[in-house]
Amino acid sequence: MSSAYLLRETGGNLVRNIVMTVAAVVTMAVSLSALGGVLIMRQAINKATVQWQGGVQLAIFMNANASGQEIRAIGDELHAMVPQEIQKYWWVDKERAYAEFKQMFAGEPAFIKVMSVGQMPPSYRVVPARAQNVAQLAGQFDNQPGVHNVGYPQQAINQMLSHFSTLRTVALVLAAGVMVGAIALIINTIQLAIFSRRREVAVMKLVGATNWFIRVPFMLEGLAHGLAGACAAFMLTYFSRGTIASFVGSDSLNFGAPLYVSPHEAVFTGVFILIVGMLVGMVGSAFAVKRFLAV
Amino acid sequence: MIRFNHVTKTYKGSTVALKDVTVDIKRGEFVFIVGPSGSGKTTFLRLVTKEEVAEAGEVWVAGKEVGSLAPWKVPYLRRNIGCVFQDFRLLPTRSVYENVAFALEVIGRPRHVVRTQVPQILKLVGLETKMDRLPGELSAGEQQRVAVARAFVNRPLILLADEPTGNLDPATTGGIMRLLERINEYGTTVVMATHDRQIVDTMRRRVIEMAQGSVVRDQVRGVYGMVDA
Repeated sequence: MSSAYLLRETGGNLVRNIVMTVAAVVTMAVSLSALGGVLIMRQAINKATVQWQGGVQLAIFMNANASGQEIRAIGDELHAMVPQEIQKYWWVDKERAYAEFKQMFAGEPAFIKVMSVGQMPPSYRVVPARAQNVAQLAGQFDNQPGVHNVGYPQQAINQMLSHFSTLRTVALVLAAGVMVGAIALIINTIQLAIFSRRREVAVMKLVGATNWFIRVPFMLEGLAHGLAGACAAFMLTYFSRGTIASFVGSDSLNFGAPLYVSPHEAVFTGVFILIVGMLVGMVGSAFAVKRFLAV
Repeated sequence: MIRFNHVTKTYKGSTVALKDVTVDIKRGEFVFIVGPSGSGKTTFLRLVTKEEVAEAGEVWVAGKEVGSLAPWKVPYLRRNIGCVFQDFRLLPTRSVYENVAFALEVIGRPRHVVRTQVPQILKLVGLETKMDRLPGELSAGEQQRVAVARAFVNRPLILLADEPTGNLDPATTGGIMRLLERINEYGTTVVMATHDRQIVDTMRRRVIEMAQGSVVRDQVRGVYGMVDA
C-alpha cells in the first residue's frame, strides 16, 4: 500500500465532506481543550504548593542570616516534640529553598534574577501530629530568635483545592460530554465517506483488494480528525496556559506570585492531548469501519 | 477449474436458488449458463467468488474449497477471477485509464506494472485512443469493453460474465463476444450467464441450462434451448 495512495484517498475523503470534517474537528478540539485545561490547572497547583507537599502544614522560616546556634535551638525544640505533638519535621536549606523559589516564580524571571541563594530563608517543614494544633505551634515558634516568620497557609490551600475540585468536575464533565459528541461526529463523517465511496469499495472488493487496504484510508481519516482537533486544543491550552492557571489562583500563597505553568509543562500536557486525540479518532473510525464497511 | 459438488443454496425467505447442483468446468473452457430469470445463474456465479456461501455441498475454485476458505483469503481468491456485469459497474468520475488502473492499484501492483499493463489491455479491447475519456462519454459497448479490460488486466484464471451483453445491441454484442473468445484463447476459463439465444446458438460452446435452481442440461456443443428450439 503506497503512501501516495493513502495520502490521496484520505485527503480526498477529508475534503469531500468538508462540513462534517470541520464539525468533527472542532468538537474534538473543544473537548480536548477542556481536558487540557484541567491538566494545566493541576500543574499550576502542584507548583504553587511545592512547599506544602508531604503533609507539611507549618513552615518555620528562619532569617537568611540566622546563626547556626539559632537554627540548632529550633531544631532541638522540634526534636523534643516528636512524636507527641509533631509527627515529623525536616530542614530545608538555602539551596533547596532557592530551587523551590525558582519553581514558584518561574513565571517571573525578573524576580529570580535579583535573588541569590544567599538571600533565601532556610526553613523547617513540620508535619504536625494533629492538624488542629497548627495555630498553637505557629504561635510557639513565631517570636523565637532567628525566626523570620511561621507560615501555615492550609486554609488558603484548602480553598484553592476545593475551588480547583469544582472547576475540574465541571471541565471533565464538559470534556466527556463534548467528547461523546466528537466521537459521534467522527463516526458519522466516516459513515458518510464510506457511503460516498461505495462504488469504489464495491470495485475494490470485486477485484480482490484486501480488507485492510479498503479500511485503512477511512481509519486514517478518523485519525486525522482526532489529530487536527488535538492540535487545535494544544495551541489553545499552550497559549492561554497563564489564563487557565489563574482560574485557580490564590494570592495568599507564595507571597502573591501568580500561578504559573512553564512552556515545558504545557508541551507535556499538549503531547498527552495529542495522544488522546489520536486514540479517540482511531477508535471512532475503527468502530465506523467495522459497523458500516462490510468487507 | 470450477467444480460444484452437490451444491445447495437457499436465500432468506426460503427461496431455493440452487438445488443439488453438480458441475465440473475445466481449465480453458468457454461455458454458457442459460435459463430464465430466477433459475440460479447469478447465484452460481456469486458462489464462485464467495459473495454467497453454499449451505450444502462444496464449491472448488482453482483447487481450493471456497466455502471453507478463511475470510482474509477471499480477496486473493478474487484476484484469480475477473467479473463483468450487465451494468458495467465503472467508476463514473474516473477516466477509462484510471478505471482499469484502479483494479491493479488496489491489489498493490507497483506503478511501473500499472503503466505498462493498462495501455496494453486497452489496446486489446480497442480503446487505446479513448484512455482519457470518462465512462459517460462512451457508448454502452465501449463501456463494457472497459469493464472487460478491468476484469482481465490482472490476467485472471477465470472470467465470470453475468449477462454482459444484456444492455447491448446485436452488433456491439458481437464485438464483446469476440473479445471474450479472444480472452478464452489466452487460456482464461470463461463462464457467461446469458439470455441471448443468438449468441449461444452461433458460438456452439458448452451450455449448462438451469431451471428453478437445478441443472437440467449440460451439453458440450449446445444451443440455447432444446425444447422450444
